[in-house]
Amino acid sequence: MARLIIDCRQAHWLLSRERDAPLRWSERLALRLHLRVCDWCSIVQRNFAFLSQAVRRLDR
Amino acid sequence: MPALAKDPAQQIAELRPMLLRIAQLQLRNHTWAEDAVSETIVAAVEGLPGFDAKSQIRTWVVGILKHKIIDQFRRRSREIQIEAQDQVAEPDALEQLFDDSGHRVSAPLDWGDPESHLERSEFFAILQACIDQLPAPLGRIFLLREWLDLDTEQICKEMKVTSTNCFVMLYRARLRLRECLDMNWFGVQGKGQNG
Repeated sequence: MARLIIDCRQAHWLLSRERDAPLRWSERLALRLHLRVCDWCSIVQRNFAFLSQAVRRLDR
Repeated sequence: MPALAKDPAQQIAELRPMLLRIAQLQLRNHTWAEDAVSETIVAAVEGLPGFDAKSQIRTWVVGILKHKIIDQFRRRSREIQIEAQDQVAEPDALEQLFDDSGHRVSAPLDWGDPESHLERSEFFAILQACIDQLPAPLGRIFLLREWLDLDTEQICKEMKVTSTNCFVMLYRARLRLRECLDMNWFGVQGKGQNG
């Protein structure tokens, strides 16, 4: 089982991976717990979402 | 007298620079991009009799290009596979974002309400330059996922890489692009260099 306390490096990795495939429940939980206390990773989460949105408009 | 609607074949031909820009960004090889675009234009012109006039020609032609790009990936899979494997084996410079305990060493820029930037062509020029700066395998895989909207299973199959390597490359591409936009767009907006 994945650890529930993760650092920013692991959080960044999971933030990227969750955009490509479903995470295991333990990974999802660890990520949510980290995001509750880490504003910096929450910013990165929003940035990744925006990147996806922007790239879809590259051909416009 | 009302202006005559433009000839659809002419409209398709006029899309060529945009199609080539996208194909080049995705395929990272000028010859492959030229091939994909030529095949797209031929298929579109030949398909005009079946084209639904209620749709936008541009959207329809971009849809054809996406298929032609995937065809190119299939044809060039061996070369692409080798480059991708080399890329994963390289250490990632973005490790410097984190300290020894795994925490970020500095705060990422908060982009605020970035949707308004989607209306600006200068933003897309910077985004395109940032994608272009990615190593070719990272740029390809990122656009396969985010622009062509392929799922990772399909991407692994097309690029002949393991799912773990696929996730690693997508992760590296996103982090690099995020940093590049911080440095070249969002980080300079407040300083009046772009806005």
